Amino acid sequence: MVALSQSSAAGVLALLFDPEPLLKQYALKSLNSLVPQFWAEISEHIALIESLYESEELPQEAHDQAALLASKVYYYLGEYDEALSFALGAGSAFEADSRTPGTEEYVETVVSKAIDRYIQSRTAEQAGDGKIDPRLQGIIEGIFRRCIEDGEFRQAIGIALESRRLDVIKHIYEQTQDTSLLSYAMEAVLDTAFPLAYRDQVLKFLFPLFPAPTSEAKSPHVYSLTRILVTLNSPEMTINFLNTLVPEQKLLAYQFAFDLVEGGSQDYLEAIRKGLPEGNEESKPIYDQLRKILLGQESIKLYLEFLKRNNKVDMLILKNTKDALEPRSSIYHTALTLQNAFMHAGTTSDVFLRENLEWLALANNWSKFSAAAAIGVIHKGHFQESMNILGPYLPAQGAESSTGSTAYSEGGALYALGLVNAGCGSGQEVENYLRNLLKNSASEVVQHGAALGLGVAGMGGKSAEAYDDLKQTLFTDSAVAGEAAGYAMGLIMLGTADQTSAEEMLTYARETQHEKIIRGLAIGLALIFYGRQEEADDMVKLLMAEKDPILRYGGVYTLALAYAGTSNNAAIRQLLHVAVSDTSDDVRRAAVTSLAFLLFKNPQQVPRIVQLLSESYNPHVRCGATLALGIACAGTGLQDAVDILEPMTRDSVDFVRQGALIALGMILVEQSEASSPSLASTRALYAKIVSDKHDDPMARFGAALGQGLIDAGGRNVTISLQSRAGSRNTSAIVGMVLFCQFWYWYPLAHCACLAFEPTGIIGLDENLKAPKFEFVSNARPSLFAYPSPMKPPKKEAVTKVATAVLSTTAKAKAREKRKAAAEGETMATDDKKDGDVEMKTGETSARNEDVSPISLTEGTSTPSKSRKSEPAFEKLSNFSRVTSAQLAYITFPPESRYQPVRVVSTRPPPTSSKDGKSPAAAALAAERSAGGGGILIMVDTRPGEEAEYIEFETQAAVPAAGAAPAAQNPPATTPGRHIALDENAPEADPPESFEYPFDNDT
Amino acid sequence: MTDVEMKAAEEKKEEKPTEEEKKPVSLTPVAEIKANVALIERAVATLEPRFTHRVLRSLTHLRKRLDDTVLRDAINEVYTTDSSTKKALLSWLPGASAEQSMEIDSAPQSSKQTQPEPVPEGEVYLRLLIIHHLLTAPATHAKAMKLAHETIEKMQVLNRRSMDPIAAKVWYAVERVYELSGELADARPYFLAAQRTAALRHDDETEASLINRILRSYLQYNLYDQADKLVSKTTFPSAAGNPQHARYHYYLGRIKAVQLNYTAAHTNLQQAIRRAPPAKTAPGFYQAVHKLTIVVELLMGDIPERSLFRHPVLEKALAGYFEIVKAVRNGSLSQFQNTLSKYAAEFEADKTYTLIVRLRQNVIKTGIRRLSLSYSRISLRDICVKLHLDSEEDAEYIVGKAIRDGVIDGRIVHEKGWMECGGQKSGYGPEVSDVFSRRIAYCLELHNQSVKAMRYPLNAHRKELAAAEGAREREKELAKEIQEGGDLDDEGPDLGEGF
Repeated sequence: MVALSQSSAAGVLALLFDPEPLLKQYALKSLNSLVPQFWAEISEHIALIESLYESEELPQEAHDQAALLASKVYYYLGEYDEALSFALGAGSAFEADSRTPGTEEYVETVVSKAIDRYIQSRTAEQAGDGKIDPRLQGIIEGIFRRCIEDGEFRQAIGIALESRRLDVIKHIYEQTQDTSLLSYAMEAVLDTAFPLAYRDQVLKFLFPLFPAPTSEAKSPHVYSLTRILVTLNSPEMTINFLNTLVPEQKLLAYQFAFDLVEGGSQDYLEAIRKGLPEGNEESKPIYDQLRKILLGQESIKLYLEFLKRNNKVDMLILKNTKDALEPRSSIYHTALTLQNAFMHAGTTSDVFLRENLEWLALANNWSKFSAAAAIGVIHKGHFQESMNILGPYLPAQGAESSTGSTAYSEGGALYALGLVNAGCGSGQEVENYLRNLLKNSASEVVQHGAALGLGVAGMGGKSAEAYDDLKQTLFTDSAVAGEAAGYAMGLIMLGTADQTSAEEMLTYARETQHEKIIRGLAIGLALIFYGRQEEADDMVKLLMAEKDPILRYGGVYTLALAYAGTSNNAAIRQLLHVAVSDTSDDVRRAAVTSLAFLLFKNPQQVPRIVQLLSESYNPHVRCGATLALGIACAGTGLQDAVDILEPMTRDSVDFVRQGALIALGMILVEQSEASSPSLASTRALYAKIVSDKHDDPMARFGAALGQGLIDAGGRNVTISLQSRAGSRNTSAIVGMVLFCQFWYWYPLAHCACLAFEPTGIIGLDENLKAPKFEFVSNARPSLFAYPSPMKPPKKEAVTKVATAVLSTTAKAKAREKRKAAAEGETMATDDKKDGDVEMKTGETSARNEDVSPISLTEGTSTPSKSRKSEPAFEKLSNFSRVTSAQLAYITFPPESRYQPVRVVSTRPPPTSSKDGKSPAAAALAAERSAGGGGILIMVDTRPGEEAEYIEFETQAAVPAAGAAPAAQNPPATTPGRHIALDENAPEADPPESFEYPFDNDT
Repeated sequence: MTDVEMKAAEEKKEEKPTEEEKKPVSLTPVAEIKANVALIERAVATLEPRFTHRVLRSLTHLRKRLDDTVLRDAINEVYTTDSSTKKALLSWLPGASAEQSMEIDSAPQSSKQTQPEPVPEGEVYLRLLIIHHLLTAPATHAKAMKLAHETIEKMQVLNRRSMDPIAAKVWYAVERVYELSGELADARPYFLAAQRTAALRHDDETEASLINRILRSYLQYNLYDQADKLVSKTTFPSAAGNPQHARYHYYLGRIKAVQLNYTAAHTNLQQAIRRAPPAKTAPGFYQAVHKLTIVVELLMGDIPERSLFRHPVLEKALAGYFEIVKAVRNGSLSQFQNTLSKYAAEFEADKTYTLIVRLRQNVIKTGIRRLSLSYSRISLRDICVKLHLDSEEDAEYIVGKAIRDGVIDGRIVHEKGWMECGGQKSGYGPEVSDVFSRRIAYCLELHNQSVKAMRYPLNAHRKELAAAEGAREREKELAKEIQEGGDLDDEGPDLGEGF
């Protein structure tokens, strides 16, 4: 080192001017060590140093020294790009310098700059222009080498992905054989903003690297494989992959088929189905089975069965709402219709409708349309029976379409038909049926219903005929039918980015006078560009520049849907900009709400982003913020979101309150009182607002909707825009987009049911039958319990007065009572002193519910005497509700006969599960996508033994159709019914007999 | 279960008396340190450097009240568990008698489970306090030096953004350590290296502090050239706090003054005065800046205002400068020379001597200006006499220079041996508007900076929202009542129709 007393580098600098090269060389060398202290001084002469670097007369060593010196000076000046350029020029000197102490920061900075530049030039090279500096390449290779040596594989993969060096990824994998690294690469490429083409390229490259999965190994990368297949959407690849699994790993193949059905689009599944080979005599049944699964109907059936079995609707809530809301007002009627539809979605239980026929008869016009459509929501997935159930309301075949009031029920029924067949209607009979009606019907209301139904049923089917029929309807320029046609065209062409249809729709939207049609087309356009990322940019730009606010509204949704789930920063920025700058309130509201579609994969972020907007002076922005929170954090119970929403339920503007109430319902769906402290208060708030006559109608509407959402699907579904494998849940996203349009058109609110995802574990054996088995949830039962049902108002007083009691009997009874009390606390049955007991009954009933009704274990029998020491685990049986947060706690006991073919959840349960409050949040902190329950194929470890199977209620109904009396097992025969809820209903009603008296109204 | 509850209750009881003891004394140093560490933790948790700044503001005040026991107690209170950091911290303090430490240990032990280890920022803060304490006695300087180095290393390794404000203070302490041991130049390489690191990591406060450290170190050794180069090659982070800005401007002012760029120096010094903390809290800096400002103003040909010298903080310190100003104002060279020789030592100490020597020309210039104002024509001989110059020739040169510099408006008539003075300047013209726009720019900048410096309390608007909500609630009640009353009113017209 140079002596510290030196106060200037001027002396050494002077040597640079000396003509003698040796002196110059010496000067450069000594300056290099002086740089840290005197860089300011040296920088005055940077031009000279640069010229030395370029001059010919100096030896190579001095060249390098000069370059290094220049690089360092630029580094100190903060010109890092220049520093890098000269460091590259320095060559060996730079290498040597990186080993001297005190220069770590310099080297680090230059290297990080080098990586940036490398990525940049690689991207440019891929695009066809520019070449990479070989020296840069050298540095980068060095970095890769070092990363791999140090075991920092993830860093290396990150750089490799960005710089498009797939060979490095392959190299790393070959070295480590660690599939989690491949999964990491896959997630990175899916979740960060890469261009679509490159994303597909990477995924195609990664896929063959994964080792073939086996059911014995329970490899966790099954999820990654599914996700890649679904994202790539390539039938050939999938077919090849499935072929490798058959016949050795047929269970796994089934599992994949089920998982694909969950995430894949209809046309993709169709193509796989067609492409699967016939197979030889050994594999033929397996391929047939696979085809059956891929049809999608199998899983829908299973979920339907699950929902029906576990239906836990609290009828009292509905009853209270019905009593509070004046049915003659159409908004309240619609509110109750929607609430009922959501609560019973997919459960096929229409008890409420049956019991309240006179209420139903009060529906008028469009509320009748809604009421009829609600049947479709309730029977969602019950596609085999759809024509039977809806038969009475559907337009008579061949007859001239009715006019007047029946048109509304007919239209609604057609929409309902679509909802029942949602996600499995494409190419089926129902599509033709709806198309015929669309063409032949004269009433625009019926056309409206048919168009919506066609759209929902054929979602993503890309059926050209359906599209043309809808286009014809659109061209009639009828506001009502045209709007629905607009939505439906978008639904049919979902995610195709089809240029011609987009052009057609945009042109028509500009020409037409009807705002409704423009709106339908605007959202339709958005749907067409679903998930197309940068391909949609031109359309977004076009729409955002429109004068018409409705088209800009569509532009906002186009942007949101194109980048759905990517958290793309540029898109978020643009939406936030629109949210605060657009002149139209509607557009601003839509922009804020749309944030949810971009960010649903990171729900924790949303409260932070939306917080300021939720305090905006503009009520529309506030309203948008509520829905953004609701949709993005749906089903998470995220406390931050609830904290923002709670004060908004007292906002001064009615529609903000409405939004807040709806959003709370979405967030708190499937939460238990133990996991989410605000659940009870929210429920109470709903009841209060619904019953408060002086509250604004909109707020009461919102509260009713919230009540419906919080108990959606018989308390067995969650709202999730993300599928279990971690990919986008297309139908849920579409459903939520359409739900958001309820602002303009209440019947569209029904589409929320597309986002309902049943949460349960459904185990199937190799014959796709459901055996009876048990698994363990390693959490306190109360943490994931169903909320306790509402207490019915006390009837005791009435009965007591009615009966005259003899004094002797009274005495005897009193004696008995005393005796009973002395025996101990057999409190569960004691209903006389309810003031005290109420609590405990609630407790026990909640407890009983944990164990599903079909459970045969001893779990039920243990009375809850020791309330404090709650067991740390519980046993659940097949077809039980398992919420997404609970999945982490699920284990299959090793001694159990049936074992799942893939792991249930890849994430470990949160460690701090003791303190009771945190689990929901903790589970959230972990990725939501990491694994899932759903339909599991189980390996039978003792195939020799006789298996016990669960009887399907819906399946039984198929042969029974119309005239099935009590046949196999008496208690569960009533078709299409839920056992628990209709003990006092008239017995064995075939669905046909149940007809809503729509025509009797005035 | 019950056991734990009991313990908690006991613990509270134990804590209460100690708290009651503390309250009346209005925060002992120990309590203050403890509160400060809590504040720092809050700052780290909320990513809000405001709290750390609040802690550091009290540093000067707190520094004077530190002693071994205070620090030891504070460390014991902050670190409830026996950790390695605690031991490391305690090792820097002279060992207390064994029982005493035992006693202290036993008290907070009960709350062991509840408190996690404080954040590293808290630890560095305590180290900072210890360094300051060690600096009070010359005997412990070596120890302070060692601790300072250890702390620096620790900070570099931790590499935390939330450390930034504390790190800035630590560097100040490091400078102090080196200065007190008289080796300020040795510290410069450290500062330079650290400054680069801070710039890379965007530690604004630390970088600002370090630039000031380096500048000071250069100026201390009269390396004005180096200092100027550094200034021109670095950008001072605008996010840095006011005190750092004030220092930076002061150093800039000094550099510029030495480089004869008085206008720039003056603006910088003005900024320094404006940014400086109030005169009473930081009198030293205030005096130093004013000393330099006065000299620069004189060099610019202005006379500082009289009221400045009556300022209670400045009165004594500026005595010598006052004399100089008087001499310059009178244009009396002899008076100037006398004062200069009288206060030479003081000026040397203030490092203003060289600048004041330059004033000699100004004294003469002032004299000439006074003459030019009083006489329309004056012979060089008379000038010689009045200004105590040696010869007529000398006078001619000086007057010629003054005319060329634009100090006076006139000409020399060499043949006749006199100076003719031109007419008075009108006081209007482009230069006036120049001055005017300069002032406007200054005011606007002041305004902008004040606006930027304003802070709003967090979440204060929520109160407003709540109030609005309450009002709305009342309104709703009212509406309800009106509606209910309105039903009656509605019946009115019906009745009327009936009549």
